[in-house]
Amino acid sequence: MNKLTKLFITFVSAITLTLASISSSFAKVEGDYIVLGSAISLTGKYSSNGVHTQNGYNMAVDRINKMGGVEVQGKKYKFEIIYYDDESNPKRAAQLAERLIKQDGVHYMLGPYSSGLTKAIAPVTEKYKIPMVEANGASRSLFTKGYKYLFAVLSPANQYLEVAIDLAVEKNGGKGVRIAQAFEQDAFSQDVRLGILDAAKRTGSEIIIDDKLPKELNDMAATLAKVKATKPDVLVVSGHTKGALTAIRQISEMKVDVPMLAMTHCDAAKLSKQHGKKSEYALCASQWHKNLSYKDKFFGSGKKYDADFKKEFGYAPPYQSAESSAALLVFKDAFERANSFDRDAVRDALVDTEMQTFYGNIKFGPGGQNVAKPMILFQVRCKGDDCENKVVAPTKWASDKFYHPIPKWSERS
Amino acid sequence: MNAIKQKDLILYSGLIILGLAAPYLFSAFKVQLTYLCVLIVLAMTWNLQGGEMGYNTFGNILFYGLGMYLTASVQVGMFFPLAEWTESGGEKTFVHTTAQYFQGIGVGLLVSAIIPAIIAGAIGYAILGLRGHYFAICTLGLGIAAGEIAGGIEIIGAGQGFTTPPFPAEIVDTEARGKFFYFLSFALLIGTFVFVKYIYGSRFRLILNAIRDNEDKAEAMGIQTMKYKIVGWMVSAFFCGLAGGIMGGLIGYIDSTDVAFDGREMGVFMVLMAILGGKGTLWGPVIGATLFHFFKEGLWTLILGWQYVALGVLIVVIVIYFPEGLMGWLREKYPEKFGEVIDEKDRKAQVELK
Repeated sequence: MNKLTKLFITFVSAITLTLASISSSFAKVEGDYIVLGSAISLTGKYSSNGVHTQNGYNMAVDRINKMGGVEVQGKKYKFEIIYYDDESNPKRAAQLAERLIKQDGVHYMLGPYSSGLTKAIAPVTEKYKIPMVEANGASRSLFTKGYKYLFAVLSPANQYLEVAIDLAVEKNGGKGVRIAQAFEQDAFSQDVRLGILDAAKRTGSEIIIDDKLPKELNDMAATLAKVKATKPDVLVVSGHTKGALTAIRQISEMKVDVPMLAMTHCDAAKLSKQHGKKSEYALCASQWHKNLSYKDKFFGSGKKYDADFKKEFGYAPPYQSAESSAALLVFKDAFERANSFDRDAVRDALVDTEMQTFYGNIKFGPGGQNVAKPMILFQVRCKGDDCENKVVAPTKWASDKFYHPIPKWSERS
Repeated sequence: MNAIKQKDLILYSGLIILGLAAPYLFSAFKVQLTYLCVLIVLAMTWNLQGGEMGYNTFGNILFYGLGMYLTASVQVGMFFPLAEWTESGGEKTFVHTTAQYFQGIGVGLLVSAIIPAIIAGAIGYAILGLRGHYFAICTLGLGIAAGEIAGGIEIIGAGQGFTTPPFPAEIVDTEARGKFFYFLSFALLIGTFVFVKYIYGSRFRLILNAIRDNEDKAEAMGIQTMKYKIVGWMVSAFFCGLAGGIMGGLIGYIDSTDVAFDGREMGVFMVLMAILGGKGTLWGPVIGATLFHFFKEGLWTLILGWQYVALGVLIVVIVIYFPEGLMGWLREKYPEKFGEVIDEKDRKAQVELK
């Protein structure tokens, strides 16, 4: 027996052992636990937002379990989540959804991060009639497919930056504006683009630059050079976390002057922390902000959620975490109203959901999207090096005045 | 001689019976088994280039992705306007009847086998003159470029991806879809294996080996190497296209860079699997793909977030301990099992020389 043979034997026995361990399957409800499944991006290009999502889920599970859990037919149950890493890859996500359902016996799913991955998982959950409450798949096309078991607590992607165009038109005295836009080539960002196209048509605005950016976006200098030359009224950029970071980095490096800059994923990117004053005046779409006045009995207000989350994870919660926490509140509510673990009963209860959470009101439209909650816009404002996100639109929740136009780089200290 | 053949017969019929029974025996693992079949096909076809011909290609992912898009496009386009299907991220949904679905996927797979083969011929004509690292880098570029280009073509969904037609709703059995794709991929696996085995017994393989061992000498002996290299690549493309077509239908959602032209994963995996098992052997890629798949499915979920580190370690272990792959290692250990006769005197003489 030489070393190699031993190595080989170790390898084979490791495989046998793991096979044995994965074949022992869980059940939908095991003892006192309701088992939920989720494929989440812990590695790959969505890993930072994947972790935000997971933290949001975990925070809500802890909180609900601590506060008595879920009561079904007079018995208290606790939530438990089985996670897999989908590596930010739709192929892997679809495969893992299948695995969660078939091998782990999961009967209720939580969504993954990003529209692309949700698009890959939804057909699987639909096939097996597994209710899925998702918090991070905003693509409009998810809600037009007639999916019956898909429920999203967030507003569809096309609404993200429509408000920004309206705002720009308003500042322009009601006349159409000239828009430059650059979007990552992925399901979510391209849907944001559709929203802008609609808004442009509606307001009579003109799109003068319409660029597509590669995934894993690290450079958009070509677009910015064009922006410098054509001087549009609004620059719209969307490309998840990396898109937001790249945009601010290069805009400040190239000293691109544009009166209005609208983006997505600013808070997930921790823009103001990473880039400080350079990110000032950026206008960001958000599903949620801590200053909004929604309330529930588990997390209290948005501000309380913000403080608790900071204590637990050491950073301020981006909306990705907040909406993920809300997904569990929705599940809890549905289980209790269904008063049963029957998948179809739970699904029917989900359809009838109408509730307020710290994250916002939740009521599902016929396609499964949340129709009760508007998108908001905040603007990054700084005092010295201390930057804060101030809600500026829509006016109902606006806590601060919208600063327009952005001062030129030559005038900024 | 006869005894060996009888042994082979028992082995093959045993494997086929196991393959046919697998989706019933391990019902919950159907999707993983389908992946396994496809991975083996990819490893075997890569081995034709990398192992037999000595041309390390990273471009086979191109044909896999093409097959995926072609099958889905044909399946939709035969019955409905494709542009409307993919418009605005696929907001509109047309429903395929059962007959339409199967007709579509049948014709789609046919197209996805033929067109990649033709494209392989055309590209091969242009770049198979390159050798060694130059060829490898050039093919690496092919896959990446294809992904970026596909991400810009509106009619196939561009960056928003392409949702393939859902399995017909009229078939109520939730297991039917899994079985259908499993048997499809199993049939592809058998087809590929039979064809590759046939190549292994033919003069064609010897020519590929001659190209690998010394291309200039092969040419000097009057072999039109270019012709054989192109044909070899077309064979790979044919099977890769089919594999892609099946995977597209199974996954249900095609994304340009992450699913179709997924050079970072599938493209690297197929090389890794062939090397793990032992390139230049018939069974090497099969064993390599199987081990790799077990490793991946079994261990990856246990080490959440660290799986690529583990993969890196695996690659290092393979390269250091099994540079010739498992088959190569076995061959060195038990040469008599592979029908090789070693002249002990000669071996000793060589050892002394060193």
